[in-house]
Amino acid sequence: MSVISVSNLKKYYRVYKKEPGLAGSIKSLFHRKYEDVKAVNDISFSISEGELVGFIGPNGAGKTTTLKVLSGLLYPTAGAVQVLGFTPFDRKPAFQKQFSLVMGQKNQLWWDLPALDSFLLNKEIYEIPNDQFQATLTQLVEMLSLKEFLKVQVRKLSLGQRMKCELAASLLHSPKVLFLDEPTIGLDVVMQKKIRDFLKDYNQKFQATIILTSHYMDDVKELCNRVIIIDKGQIFFDGRLDQIIKKYADHKTLEVIFEGPIEKPDFKIIPDAKISDYSPPRVIFSVKRRLANQVAAKLLTKFHVADLNITESSIEDIIREVFTGRDLS
Amino acid sequence: MKKYWLIFRLSWQNALTYRLNFVMWRVRSIIGFLASYLFWLAIVNSNQNIAGYNPSLLLTYIFVSAFLRNLVLSNVSYGACVEIAGGDLSNYLIKPLGYFKYWLTRDLADKALNLSFFSVEIIIFYLILKPQIVLTQHLWLFLAISFLAALLYFFLSFLISTYAFWHPEHNGWPFRFLFIMLLDFLSGSSIPLDIFPPQIVKIFQVLPFSYLVFYPNQIWLNRVNTNQIINIFLITSFWLIAFYLIFRLVWRRGLKNYSAYGR
Repeated sequence: MSVISVSNLKKYYRVYKKEPGLAGSIKSLFHRKYEDVKAVNDISFSISEGELVGFIGPNGAGKTTTLKVLSGLLYPTAGAVQVLGFTPFDRKPAFQKQFSLVMGQKNQLWWDLPALDSFLLNKEIYEIPNDQFQATLTQLVEMLSLKEFLKVQVRKLSLGQRMKCELAASLLHSPKVLFLDEPTIGLDVVMQKKIRDFLKDYNQKFQATIILTSHYMDDVKELCNRVIIIDKGQIFFDGRLDQIIKKYADHKTLEVIFEGPIEKPDFKIIPDAKISDYSPPRVIFSVKRRLANQVAAKLLTKFHVADLNITESSIEDIIREVFTGRDLS
Repeated sequence: MKKYWLIFRLSWQNALTYRLNFVMWRVRSIIGFLASYLFWLAIVNSNQNIAGYNPSLLLTYIFVSAFLRNLVLSNVSYGACVEIAGGDLSNYLIKPLGYFKYWLTRDLADKALNLSFFSVEIIIFYLILKPQIVLTQHLWLFLAISFLAALLYFFLSFLISTYAFWHPEHNGWPFRFLFIMLLDFLSGSSIPLDIFPPQIVKIFQVLPFSYLVFYPNQIWLNRVNTNQIINIFLITSFWLIAFYLIFRLVWRRGLKNYSAYGR
């Protein structure tokens, strides 16, 4: 059964355009030009219980907008959205008690008070029974190692500590559905890893349905079996991560270390080998999949090669290619 | 209900976190009071009667205004404006929590805190300044109208915060600043409004602002008859309902407009 279903969702924003400079500013006092920005333009997908799905895409692709529509913050321009059987924009308390939205750049904790005070407030807001609250809190404190921070004023916490407290605050009511918008933004590698491990754990322990957006491929690679790639408000790919490689990687990477002097023009004799990184004695070529062996053989015969490696393109490369609009065919 | 009680307590904790900040706030309120008290004291010393106010009436007016400023015009709910403009409103909208009730609670907490400090301060000033205070014959009516006035101001202020839905620039401050400036004058919190010519007083009478400080003050001063008291209650209630209805309409439209774009 699908917990989240979205069909033909559109969300347009009206923004006003100002010409640059003071003259433009003065002009805009009298007359403003508005333009529609198609943040989300006709997307459909559905997500089942317990799935952990990654939303990826460049800035402004429509990821956050989609999460906001799913949370009931934005009113869709068109299309139908259902989460846990509710229409999010109705903002029914019964719905709100079952989900959470965590935005890496927004905080819900009271800045001047210890995090524990905000936790207690959430307990009242979500009407969490005492025993359940204590049990969940103990569990979260342990999973996120929060013990020392609970009684410290939030403003005195580091970004990572605060982020962990934010996560805990959002999970106290044991949401069935969790939307995470850039949960690891600005954190160091160690803290990113900790948050990732925690989310993985949480997903498995509670069968929670999670949607996560991130700029860090590591987040997505490690956590999500399924990814939805969004670009310019439309879904570009929806499926298993390893399928992206099968579908789009028609190039292989040849990493060659040469012996003896080489010159860039030397490689003109093998036109199928495109240089993607040239730092002698190491050269990396990008080669059409079906020609890879042939090119490798040619390189070995025509040059003195110390080492040669043929690898699949990395997911990062493929996605970068997708987003820079390179022709993949 | 329990959640709002906790919000009330957290508001006190929050306000008392920064002692210096809080003390400065009280000092500001005291200076405002003293400035207008001493100003009017200087005037009544040379003129015994100003537009129907004898010295003790006028000085009582200033004392009662100080009370009403603390009860009616003290307000932390302008924070809603900042949250709407900055997008932090989202944090509340996803929770089973009434945003309107949330800020009403925080305002009540703020008013209660201010009043408790004010009551100590006013006793000290009374002992130092020893003015002849006019006592009211309508204490309960005065308290009732003050309560309605506080509610009226809350609605009005919240309505002004919704302006940030459409104009988030500078956190909605340009408009609020204008509002505060106008309010100080139009509510009669530093000048009794009826010292102006009758035509102007008629305008004040129609506007809602004079019902925040001036008219409640008149009830305390026993300067209104029964008919006028009924009128004051009726007009205050009218504005209260009107602002509430306008607020609901505007809020609903604002939320649709709340694009949360990049916010």
